[in-house]
Amino acid sequence: MSEFDIKKPVVALPDMDPEPQIPEEELFFTEEELERIAGFTEKYPTNRSAVMPALWLAQEKFGFLPPEVMKLVAEALDMPYAQVYGAATFYTQYYKKQMGTYVLDVCCSFSCQACGSYDVLDYLEEKLGIHAGETTEDGRFTIQEVECLGSCGTAPMLQVTNGPYVHNLTKEKLDELITDLRNDKMPPFTSVTLPQDEDEMGGNRRSDVEHTDTYRTPPAPERWI
Amino acid sequence: MEATNGQTKAGDWQNFERILLPPIRDLHTLDVYEAEYDGYQAIQKVLKEWEPGEVINEVKQANIRGRGGAAFNAGLKWSFMPPKGDRPRYLACNADESEPGTYKDRQLMEYNPHLMFEGILLANYAMEMDACYVYVRGEYADWITHMERELEKLYQKGYVGENIFGSDFSTDIILHKGAGAYICGEETSLMNSLEGKRGYPRIKPPFPAQKGLWDSPTTINNVETLAHVTLVMRHGADWFSAIGAPTHPGSTIYGISGHVNRPGAYEYPTGMLITDLIEKVCGGMRDGKKLKAVVPGGSSVPPLHVDMVDGVTMDADSLREAGSMMGTGGMLVLNEDTDMVTYLRRVNHFYQHESCGQCTPCREGTGWLEAIVTRIDEGEGNLRDLDLLIDLCDQMEGRTICAFADAAAWPVRYTIERFREDFEAKCKPAVFDTGGVTISA
Repeated sequence: MSEFDIKKPVVALPDMDPEPQIPEEELFFTEEELERIAGFTEKYPTNRSAVMPALWLAQEKFGFLPPEVMKLVAEALDMPYAQVYGAATFYTQYYKKQMGTYVLDVCCSFSCQACGSYDVLDYLEEKLGIHAGETTEDGRFTIQEVECLGSCGTAPMLQVTNGPYVHNLTKEKLDELITDLRNDKMPPFTSVTLPQDEDEMGGNRRSDVEHTDTYRTPPAPERWI
Repeated sequence: MEATNGQTKAGDWQNFERILLPPIRDLHTLDVYEAEYDGYQAIQKVLKEWEPGEVINEVKQANIRGRGGAAFNAGLKWSFMPPKGDRPRYLACNADESEPGTYKDRQLMEYNPHLMFEGILLANYAMEMDACYVYVRGEYADWITHMERELEKLYQKGYVGENIFGSDFSTDIILHKGAGAYICGEETSLMNSLEGKRGYPRIKPPFPAQKGLWDSPTTINNVETLAHVTLVMRHGADWFSAIGAPTHPGSTIYGISGHVNRPGAYEYPTGMLITDLIEKVCGGMRDGKKLKAVVPGGSSVPPLHVDMVDGVTMDADSLREAGSMMGTGGMLVLNEDTDMVTYLRRVNHFYQHESCGQCTPCREGTGWLEAIVTRIDEGEGNLRDLDLLIDLCDQMEGRTICAFADAAAWPVRYTIERFREDFEAKCKPAVFDTGGVTISA
């Protein structure tokens, strides 16, 4: 069968055989990781369902998911590469290209927009010298404009590399965050105290969290979009 | 805890005692939940004394209106499950909270996850489910870790797994981490995602109760709905339906955001006046500005103009009459400085970004909606573009597999209808060449 020769594809076709980005000697799962993947498959009736947890595991290990990593996941789950590729490309949190060490996902959906998220984005772009969607030259930071992260009451806010949330952003807080991240200090998990707890219990109800924050009057945005 | 606790009508909201998030220190841990909040008593009582069908009837009678947005009677939904056959049966708990403006389920997962776990066990018993998959959005990684810790304890104590509480009923709970896709909150898309596929919604029928996860009978419920199931089985349907609005009973977590002095997640009875929520609960508008618009239930619901807000209460029926929807109860408050064109532009960007791309009217339509509103926002639009937008909405609504296209079209249709002056102010005046006389419309 001859290959289709598409002269002018509307959407750029994916490179079928790209140059591997992960060196071959590093491209493997350890015994322990394979065991964990096998553990994922036990939770579901089919192997295919374990593709999401397996991709998460792969992303934690390799940092991102180039085709060779997707193929590795396909092998581990004994499923076709095309299906892994299909799943991985559907979800935005799976990084298909190399990202910075710290990915700053600034929420810009409407609640955050109304409370100054574009000011936050502007400030970060200015400070790091890159646009949203780009990575700094030293490979340390990537900024992304993302959709609702589900923390609308503490707008504007951001998430660091699919991990902790940073709430109630101000310029000072952003400066502090960037300094901390330059020193490889990730922000801690922060529990935001319910307003009713504040009134009735005098503070956060959880004693197992070290860092708490509260809901505050959001700032008036300078720029909307 | 006394059975009268929390039984409050919305008019008496100042005296409301919270039932989903009662003020108990460290309630999120299993020990405290059991010792101080009668935790896992309801499921033990039900396992001993109730038939599965009776549980469904009780929940149906309580009239828990689904808290995920559709406000459908949860017990009625349960009763659609076919009789137990050879195939396994599944419950899916929808914790994919991605609707802009919504953050209530996360509060439950952070402060009272066991209420949800117990509700899952009750639902699994009522519908004779083999397992429940809790689909949590990937961004909530920290909360998933916290819940995994608690779930581990449940397995160790024999509250979940084989022969729970020494009965002959066995069931599993599995936490599944999503990876960032709004559409996976749609129930059939959630099922495809759980099966390891791209999160494309499926055509209904067959409905999930007939052919759901792995072609088995499946029911999907929201986190808050399942938490309410625990309370219903603990205190009884009559107790529950006496709280809040008569046709939409219970309490709910209002996630309020935007231009108010004290935004946040507040638990109050359903049927609260929107004006009370803004003025009394949230301490009024920021900087003393005037209210311009309220989006009462997440980005998909039609926004209410300030003139439409008076006397409207937060329950499905009142909001429908007022021309909006209860949605998720995630309320965005906007002040007089807001430009509704810019607001709509961002909402459209959201839908354009999150459309799964399966159906053409939605995939292309959301892109055009954004492009046209952006044009208007940048001062390049014409008045006729507003008609074009409405026409586009007509072509999208009801013509796709899932309700995403409708959700994308409604804000456009109703924002233009209700805030037309904002749009007209940004459009270029229509100019007709009438031989020297210029007429602007």
